[in-house]
Amino acid sequence: MTTHHPDLSTLMSYSAGSLPDAIATVVAAHLSLCDHCSCHVQEAEQIGISLLEQLEPTPMSAGAKDDILSMLGETTQAAEPAKPEPHVPDDADVPSPLRHLLGHYLDDLHWKTMAPGLKQFILPAAESNLRLLKIAPGTCMPSHGHTGSELTLVLRGSYSDELGRFCAGDVADLDPDIQHQPVADTHEGCICLIATDAPLRFNGLVPRLLQPFFQL
Amino acid sequence: MTDHDNRNGHTETPRSDHFASKSKMAPNNSITKTPDKLKQSLADLGRYRDKQTFALLYDFFAPRLKSHLMSKGAHGEMAEELVQETMLSVWKNCKSYDPDKSAASTWIFRIARNLWIDRLRKEKSNLLSPLDNYPESSFVPAMKEFDSAKIKSALKSLPQQQAQLVYKVYYEGKSHREISEDMDMPLGSVKSGLRLAFTKLRNQMGEV
Ligand SMILES: [Zn+2]
Repeated sequence: MTTHHPDLSTLMSYSAGSLPDAIATVVAAHLSLCDHCSCHVQEAEQIGISLLEQLEPTPMSAGAKDDILSMLGETTQAAEPAKPEPHVPDDADVPSPLRHLLGHYLDDLHWKTMAPGLKQFILPAAESNLRLLKIAPGTCMPSHGHTGSELTLVLRGSYSDELGRFCAGDVADLDPDIQHQPVADTHEGCICLIATDAPLRFNGLVPRLLQPFFQL
Repeated sequence: MTDHDNRNGHTETPRSDHFASKSKMAPNNSITKTPDKLKQSLADLGRYRDKQTFALLYDFFAPRLKSHLMSKGAHGEMAEELVQETMLSVWKNCKSYDPDKSAASTWIFRIARNLWIDRLRKEKSNLLSPLDNYPESSFVPAMKEFDSAKIKSALKSLPQQQAQLVYKVYYEGKSHREISEDMDMPLGSVKSGLRLAFTKLRNQMGEV
């Protein structure tokens, strides 16, 4: 049961296509689980369409229309590329936007240990930082703040911090002024998908020593 | 549908001078395009694949898409390229358009948005990303006909700063962080301003 959702400002920017890539991925992963937010995204799209309708049309250059009309014949003949629906196993736990990249199972990933109780997998695909973090039961993340937006989606298990308890499907959409120290609080540990558009900001010496492990 | 929808139509009328020289369709045919008519045309296109219908949709959408892409930062030539790609994709994929699920403009602008995002990724050559951030939604909402005129007047009633935030998100395609730098506002205030604006707008949209 999802209780924490992305901020409305985040959903609005998602619908407009204005989020940094990595953050949009986390939103997409949450939307695949949350009709409530999908509904807001549809509303935000309506707002966008109304705004677009207010733009003064810019004429296309002469010939553009003839060009495209002459191309239509060719495309009709070209067989439409059949899109075979890839088979997704029922127990796949990698969120749908990441499956091209990661396959179906989180446990099959090549996790790298960063610190005791803390493993990560950095996704090679995004403009800003996108990573999976695996926190062993009872493990405490270093307390940290953010210099930019951070969006976290819990994929497995749960964690608690100053803002509450976040279970699978929940999203933490943090303002930069928030300091927090997440603790994995169930027996199975916690796996999160985390996107940032600016480096994390750790406090204190020990966490700063951890910084290189985060590859920031 | 409602007569609101019909009234909205003529605010979207293309400037006839843009079209006079190249329009192949019957004169006056382009003057009113209500959301329902556009929806019908797009559904027809999927069914009958008639080039005439395509031309009608092209005349309406291409110049709007071009403005839209230019406001997001595409220069004229790239904007046109993307418009052509978008409209070609409309032609190829219109069979999958479901008029019960979305308005024609929503469907077409989604295509344009995704192509634009792909283009941005390709420009940063290391980012040939297989991320699929805008999958075809399996979610089918109870289709609510939004009143575009109400949204427009609600936008006008927003405090100036909130309206500016909304414009930057939709027209300029700026991220929250970029907006906070542009407007010299804390990131938290950008988000709360957008949140307030969204809440006001959707309250107005919901009113019958
Ligand atoms: Zn949600």
